[in-house]
Amino acid sequence: MIEVRRLAKRFGAVEALRDVSFRTTKGTITAMLGENGAGKTTTLRIVLGFLRPDSGAVAISPGRVGYVPDRPSYFPWLDGWTILELVRAGLGGRAGGRAGGNGRDFRPMVLAAARDLLFDPGLLRHRPGSYSAGNVRKFAYLQNLVAGPDLLVVDEPYASLDPPSIKAVRDVFCGLREAGKTVLLSSHMLAEMERIADGFVVLRRGATIAHAGLREWRLMRTARTAPDLETVFLRLTGP
Amino acid sequence: MLDTALLTLTWRVARKRLIGSTPAIVAGLAFPAFVAWVVFDHSYDAAARIFYFLLPYAFLFAAQDAVRTDVESGALENVLFTGGRFRGFLRTKGLVAAAAAGGYALVLFALFSAWGAALGAFRPSDLIRLGLAFLSGLYYVALAGVLSHFLRGGSNVLSLLLAQAAGVLALLFTVSSRTGLLDHAASGRFPGLGSKLLFGGLVAILPNVVVAGRPTAFAAEVLAGLVAALVVHERLVRRLELRKGRSA
Repeated sequence: MIEVRRLAKRFGAVEALRDVSFRTTKGTITAMLGENGAGKTTTLRIVLGFLRPDSGAVAISPGRVGYVPDRPSYFPWLDGWTILELVRAGLGGRAGGRAGGNGRDFRPMVLAAARDLLFDPGLLRHRPGSYSAGNVRKFAYLQNLVAGPDLLVVDEPYASLDPPSIKAVRDVFCGLREAGKTVLLSSHMLAEMERIADGFVVLRRGATIAHAGLREWRLMRTARTAPDLETVFLRLTGP
Repeated sequence: MLDTALLTLTWRVARKRLIGSTPAIVAGLAFPAFVAWVVFDHSYDAAARIFYFLLPYAFLFAAQDAVRTDVESGALENVLFTGGRFRGFLRTKGLVAAAAAGGYALVLFALFSAWGAALGAFRPSDLIRLGLAFLSGLYYVALAGVLSHFLRGGSNVLSLLLAQAAGVLALLFTVSSRTGLLDHAASGRFPGLGSKLLFGGLVAILPNVVVAGRPTAFAAEVLAGLVAALVVHERLVRRLELRKGRSA
């Protein structure tokens, strides 16, 4: 579970966030939506502890926090296997993901997770810097599956992915939800978010302008006030 | 409390980088080869002076790329470093650099002192010189750590080397001829406040000189500098944020 209360953040003269609040519940997928520059990535970075808010607070239930950034980067001198092994070593006893824990099971479990993501495990012998953009992203998901997050935060979840890979990643999100994990996504792909998300947070100019859970969303759909998420989004963010 | 998993992670990242760095390996092998050549060509005593004077550079070279390069590479925006753990990683990097260089220095010292003992040239006072070399080395790690908040790549090390070269040249061409500063440095005694301050300035950028001379108040200056650099580094790390593409 994440609870974000009244976040504000400035970068010099730029007011990135002025009033962002929302709440997600355990075992759900929440989509954060907003125009370019609305404050989505800044909010995610504060949730992840990479930035400190000027005011406001973030509360996260105890557990491991995973992250797939919009442009994943790695130490350039490490190959894929080494990075995955670092997850196991670097998270210590906390490594209990799909491939965590027992060292003997590590390799086969990584290979199984790679298959789920349609990621060629032969690439793991090479450095991620030599991968295509899509494979870099799939490797980031693989790293998070190895870590076994209780909360997975993803910025632009489908960027650079081909259609089969999009389906594979969607299945990963749904699998995490079924396992009682929480997923927070930031995306511009409204149709895809509508398909998998249980709740929506809409940001505009650094503030939350709408926050709907699955129940409210269904009510809106039933009342035909909102034919689809794109219409809602355009109404909310329109001039 | 020490995060042993983070220590393991940092050690593995740093070790892979060091063993994958051709310049580091070449320098690590060239240094003992040079010292051995001096022993054969001159004497063990001459080699010992060079050995202990240059030993702190092992720490300096291990401390390149400490902060800014990692921050700007985006590699810290990773599941390994969420929850502010990247700050712990950057703190631990200095520790790991010091440990790696310290291990290397101890191995060389063991070999070199065994050679000296076999020749009957090893002196117990060499242990003091080793201690001062370690002090200077740790000072280098801390200072390079502070500089790496502002300088990319190995330019933290390069800037120190350039400052040293400039400082030594300035002393050679200006001050030493008038005050005999280098003579005083060799004797460990300074007659006036001016020459003390000048030498203190040199020690701040070239702490190795305390290894060459007698342990004096200037060794205390290096120790104070080490503590100050650690405090500054900690403050910088504590307020560090990972912004898009640059540190803050």
